[in-house]
Amino acid sequence: MSFPPAIRLRAPRPVPACAGIGLRARHHAEIPASLPAIGWFEAHSENYFGRGGPARRALAQVRERYPLSLHGVGLSLGSTDRFDLGHLQQLQCLIRDFEPTLVSEHLSWGSIGGQHFNDLWPLPYTGEALRHMTRRVAELQDFLGRQILIENVSSYLTFTGPEMTEWEFVAQLAQASGCALLLDVNNIYVSAMNHGFDARRYLASVPVGTVREIHLAGHSIQKLGEQEIRIDTHGTPVCEAVWDLYQCALQRFGPVPTLIEWDTDVPELAVLVAEAHRADRYLERHHAIAA
Amino acid sequence: MLSLPELQQRFAAAIRDGDGAAFAGEIDAGANGPSALDRLAVYRNNWREGFRNALASGFPVLARLVGPDYFRQLALEFLAAHPSRSGDLEHIGAPLPAFLERRFADSAYVYLGDVATLEWACQQVLAAADHAAATADALRAVDPAAYGALRFGLHPAARLLASSFPVSRIWHSNQPSAEVESIDLTSGGEQLLVRCGAAGLELHHLRPGEFALAQALAEGSDLGDALAATHDAAPDADLASALHRLIAVGALDLICGSLRP
Repeated sequence: MSFPPAIRLRAPRPVPACAGIGLRARHHAEIPASLPAIGWFEAHSENYFGRGGPARRALAQVRERYPLSLHGVGLSLGSTDRFDLGHLQQLQCLIRDFEPTLVSEHLSWGSIGGQHFNDLWPLPYTGEALRHMTRRVAELQDFLGRQILIENVSSYLTFTGPEMTEWEFVAQLAQASGCALLLDVNNIYVSAMNHGFDARRYLASVPVGTVREIHLAGHSIQKLGEQEIRIDTHGTPVCEAVWDLYQCALQRFGPVPTLIEWDTDVPELAVLVAEAHRADRYLERHHAIAA
Repeated sequence: MLSLPELQQRFAAAIRDGDGAAFAGEIDAGANGPSALDRLAVYRNNWREGFRNALASGFPVLARLVGPDYFRQLALEFLAAHPSRSGDLEHIGAPLPAFLERRFADSAYVYLGDVATLEWACQQVLAAADHAAATADALRAVDPAAYGALRFGLHPAARLLASSFPVSRIWHSNQPSAEVESIDLTSGGEQLLVRCGAAGLELHHLRPGEFALAQALAEGSDLGDALAATHDAAPDADLASALHRLIAVGALDLICGSLRP
């Protein structure tokens, strides 16, 4: 570390193999006051890029009491633009100040030619894109001096001429770059439904041991004339089909820290805690099997 | 097959311009399911709605004043003129005040630009460094002979704002919990200091001398020059109490000065 931390922190604690929830502005005051029975919290990195103020104070309070994961949504890792050095430096400062246990970003891009669309767009699954993404992940890990987790995204289209499947791409990216994987089970389900592949086959192809975190979230179904498409909205409870797929994932990967994500129409804290406790019940079964 | 940079440029152009036909051939829509154009439209909608949502959460008073439908129209016009240049959506609002001033120049809605200026100031101070501001005690520790050479800056969590409209009243009466209130736009302007303190946002009304002094100090004048400029701008101002007021509301950072030996 090049600078001493601005605030004295407890040493980072491992994110336990239990359920966590996303830290959202709506709950900034309530969480430190009520200390809900939750294993860990995850914050969107960009929401705390400011140099001070109430949001960072809330994050510091949460970090004092819970293991913390930082999850980036804006780095546009897969873009062929150059990295935004300012963004990287802000992320580096945030990591220095809060010493998170896990740091993650997405297998996606969202900017080109300097314009940002602030979305998580899919890459084409080609050898060229794999080499590009591998280089970018390696550069990010070198810059931050730590391993990062890369998350699969939901997609609503695929590009023509793929040279491999998404699960082959993900497995090779982890192997070639040394990154770990953040497996979003809802995203696998959404993409499987949108593109007609077998979600269980995806799970079965991801190397055991590379998955260090799982995401669960709700999605919505949008009608497009006669057709429908599933959209990753993070605004509803996790659906039963995704809970089923999650249990398959636990069977393959063992108990892995699992996050309940809810980003739009964020409900009361108790609703998120209840979703997390459901994930905990599945995790406990697998802990029992492992023991 | 397109190279990755070409594919990214053409995909982004299709989303930005809403013209998917030229890109549809690069999409494998499959035998069943939505068409390539429908799939692209999902991404275009996500982009536009994501931008509108982020803008509305940064400018809630503006959104409430103009209503959801008109806000959406304004957000899309603004997006076309000032697309995001950052992976951090916190930055998108910076050009909005000037955009609205131009958009509503010479109309009855020209005050919306000042509302946006105030809301942008709020966003900035809420995320700014929050170290302690200059205090009266620190000032008392300074040799009075060295007062004139003191340099202050505006505290990072403070912004100055002058409007010819009652902009803070508009702001207060459009908070989620506020009662509906009728405000006469011609009832007079305001000079404000927007500050984020330990308890959250504070809007302080400044007297003309206080505002002139804060402005001169923020622009880098030493205290001697700033007091002279304040006297010129507001001859009736009590200079000592203007300085004390600015200190009392945490407006200033002491940048350099000689401490009493």
